[in-house]
Amino acid sequence: MTSSPSEATAHPLQEYADSVAEVVGGTARITFDTIKVEVEPKDWVEAHTKARDDLDLVYFSFLSAVDWANEVEAGDPLSEKVEERFEVLTTVSDLTEGRRVTFSTSLDKEGASIDSLVEVYAGANWHEREAAEMFGIDFKGHPNLIALYLPDAFIGNPLRKSYPLLSREVKPWPGTVDVESMPEKTEPSTENPEA
Amino acid sequence: MDAVVEIFGNPWVSLAGKVLLVALIVPLSAMVLGFAEMKVSAKMQSRVGPYFAGGRWGWAQLIADGVKFFQKEDIVPDDADQPVFKAAPIIVLMGTVALLVVIPFGPGLIFQDLSVGIFYALAISSISTIGVLMAGWSSANKYSLMGGLRAAGQLIAYELPLVLAVVGSVIMAGTMSMGGIVQAQIDAGFPFVVVQFIGFGIFMVAALAELTRIPFDMPIAESELVMGYVTEYSGFRFLFFFLAEYANMFTMSAIAATLFLGGYWLPFVPESTLDYAGPFILIGKVLVLTFGMIWFRWTFPRFREDQLQTLAWKWLIPLALANIAVTAVLKVVL
Amino acid sequence: MSIEADAVRHLAEAQVSVELETEDMTLNIGPQHPSTHGVLRLVARVDGERAYDVKPVIGYMHRGYEKLSEVRTYPQITALINRIDWVSGYANEIPFVVAAEKLMEIEVPERAQYIRLILTEMARISSHLMFLAAYPLELGAGTPLFFALRERERVLDLIEGVTGGRFHPNFNRIGGVKPAAGSGSTSRKVAQDLPAGFLDGTRFAMDKVLSVCDDIENLVAGNEIILARTKGIGIIPKEIIAAYGVSGPTMRASGIPFDLRKVENYLPYDRFDFDVPVGETGDSWDRWWVRFEETRQAAMIVQQAIDGIPPSGPLQAKVPKVIKVPKGETYVRAENPKGEMGYYLISDGGQGPYRLKIRSSSFSNISILPWILEGALVPDIIAIMGSLDFVLGDVDR
Repeated sequence: MTSSPSEATAHPLQEYADSVAEVVGGTARITFDTIKVEVEPKDWVEAHTKARDDLDLVYFSFLSAVDWANEVEAGDPLSEKVEERFEVLTTVSDLTEGRRVTFSTSLDKEGASIDSLVEVYAGANWHEREAAEMFGIDFKGHPNLIALYLPDAFIGNPLRKSYPLLSREVKPWPGTVDVESMPEKTEPSTENPEA
Repeated sequence: MDAVVEIFGNPWVSLAGKVLLVALIVPLSAMVLGFAEMKVSAKMQSRVGPYFAGGRWGWAQLIADGVKFFQKEDIVPDDADQPVFKAAPIIVLMGTVALLVVIPFGPGLIFQDLSVGIFYALAISSISTIGVLMAGWSSANKYSLMGGLRAAGQLIAYELPLVLAVVGSVIMAGTMSMGGIVQAQIDAGFPFVVVQFIGFGIFMVAALAELTRIPFDMPIAESELVMGYVTEYSGFRFLFFFLAEYANMFTMSAIAATLFLGGYWLPFVPESTLDYAGPFILIGKVLVLTFGMIWFRWTFPRFREDQLQTLAWKWLIPLALANIAVTAVLKVVL
Repeated sequence: MSIEADAVRHLAEAQVSVELETEDMTLNIGPQHPSTHGVLRLVARVDGERAYDVKPVIGYMHRGYEKLSEVRTYPQITALINRIDWVSGYANEIPFVVAAEKLMEIEVPERAQYIRLILTEMARISSHLMFLAAYPLELGAGTPLFFALRERERVLDLIEGVTGGRFHPNFNRIGGVKPAAGSGSTSRKVAQDLPAGFLDGTRFAMDKVLSVCDDIENLVAGNEIILARTKGIGIIPKEIIAAYGVSGPTMRASGIPFDLRKVENYLPYDRFDFDVPVGETGDSWDRWWVRFEETRQAAMIVQQAIDGIPPSGPLQAKVPKVIKVPKGETYVRAENPKGEMGYYLISDGGQGPYRLKIRSSSFSNISILPWILEGALVPDIIAIMGSLDFVLGDVDR
């Protein structure tokens, strides 16, 4: 199934994509059978709230980010220049017909921050923690934005394009004993069980 | 065992002989029952079981295991309470060995026919509980502690049904001596299980709980507590726990056979042959009961702690008390 | 030397902080534990037998697949990603190659699609049989393990016969599947690509799987103690499922009849007739039962596929020797045995992706653990965690 909005026959998902864009207030396009709706960062939480309540897209699939950069330390550089930014993606879906929508927004790289989605979808909690530690994005309003995967002593945000894949010659082995601290020492004392 | 005294002439030597014999029964019964467990469970799971140790039948597997445990390094955790840690397995094994003293293997073939035989047996078997608690506490390991506390609750809770189930049989026999109970069954002409089937059932369930075997192995609970109170034990200390469990299976089954199934007597066997055939008859009954225990272990998962306690306090104890009341009334009336 | 001694003492203190007053005990369940399915660590405050404030600590197995996939080519990535959920190895590759094929706009030949479907369903059977075996074992029943694993070996042998690997097949190619070893180039139209005896062997294996399902049902479904340990334990309501993104059999056990095989078209499931088992209450027993019924359904799908597979045909579409996927992005999701697995592929026209986001099912499935384990008894923690059926490779990627 190809995606060519300029063909005579419209894509079967075009109608739904347009209705989604109208409800949440963004721009929709279809990329290879995936509906992608771009919203402004300030409308991020509101768009998701409308998606959950009005469009019945109650199922939270994932949240992640993309680092659009022109100079890369690992991998191949882009074929054409892009505007350097972080793009935050979420995918939500419904639980009856399997319609799914990918929301996207663009953040500046300096001081990247956006409102947290935990009030709308509780499952965004862990996804935002991972995006925060991997990209260095701050999610405002997140109850417990500490590292999820990376050990305590890790410096840097690995999934940024400016982070090289280090070998052990560059960064020596940290020692024969890797002692992780207990979580309560690095967290605030009052928190709900969902954190 | 007066025959032993006559052979040796000297009461001190005969005492040493009796002690040695009692001590030998423990590893022997443990080896046979452990091997039976391995083979029976293998057949239930379409496996073969021990195969290599001892010529394609694996009879030497447990001898090999015993030697292996003995030659292992004796590891005692640094933070453990050393004297308590080292004494715990010995105390658990002591309870088992002391139980063997009052089991009648034949008419007159009993190490010591105490007049309070069954009372002594139940009291002594409680000493193992202290050993289990000592093991859980002194191991300096949170999982062992949890296992030890679960064991304390479980073993104490199931002591009561164990004792109460026995009372029905004692009432029917009119004596607490083990030899006397078997004799009462011979005189009555039927094993007590025919009328005391409730007591028998309660006794077997409570015995499984006292042995901390599945479905009552919360204190060990391999998939949760790694090995419960036995976690920190290795080498020959673990061997003591291992021996204690299987030897205890033997003694508990032997007590059940004596109290309910007629001990060393079968209805159609002439009494004159009981001197030689008695031990075999008793061991046969023990093997049947332990087969049942092994079968249960591999069929059921384990109870949760609160379900276990509910079973003991809300079901088994009232049932056992009712059993005693009915037995006592019928004994007076009939 | 002193650093090590300090570190050892720190470890010992962190473990053994038992006071004599009746206080709560902080218990580390894991990372080395018989029942945590890998290196999952739960830090729980335990009061007697009840656990409060359970915090999962993950990341012990984080291998950095997303970063790695930015420096690897597409065929190399298929070798990596079947190690994400290592119990159902083959199923991990499918959404990724389908995404790449979507961007390249090539169509997979029919015989290759059937082979992919057969192997995916066999991976599902293998994963579910492992669960059906291991979950009663965590509760204490040792026997279903042997029944299920015996039949699982048959299925794994078949997968190995076709692909060369039991768990990490690396069998998909962009545009189709790889021909079986030693059978020549991909353009041969003669049906000698599957090993001899595969079709009959699969029919026999599926019959055995169905019969062992009956055996396991006798042993487990009527077992009062298993029912007492799992019924009513760990009920997950539908709102939590939707909000946290819990998928797969766990979702269907809570009464949501949503199966991606019926909704998405990544493999030709619409040609086969199968039911989607749905549970009622969402407790641990329903999660076991849904996976049990799914095993049966998967065996029946494989039987239908074996009967309907095209007898000959190419195994791979025409693709260039060096694969470059044109510019574009898409998200493809599939119904993996553990849940919804998806790949968001952003390609820039190079030999490897610019960004590959791996959406793994167990990551979302266990994010509900702090919510669901609040106030649970310690044995119930084991029962609930086991019923969620997660693998740490899937959680940590």
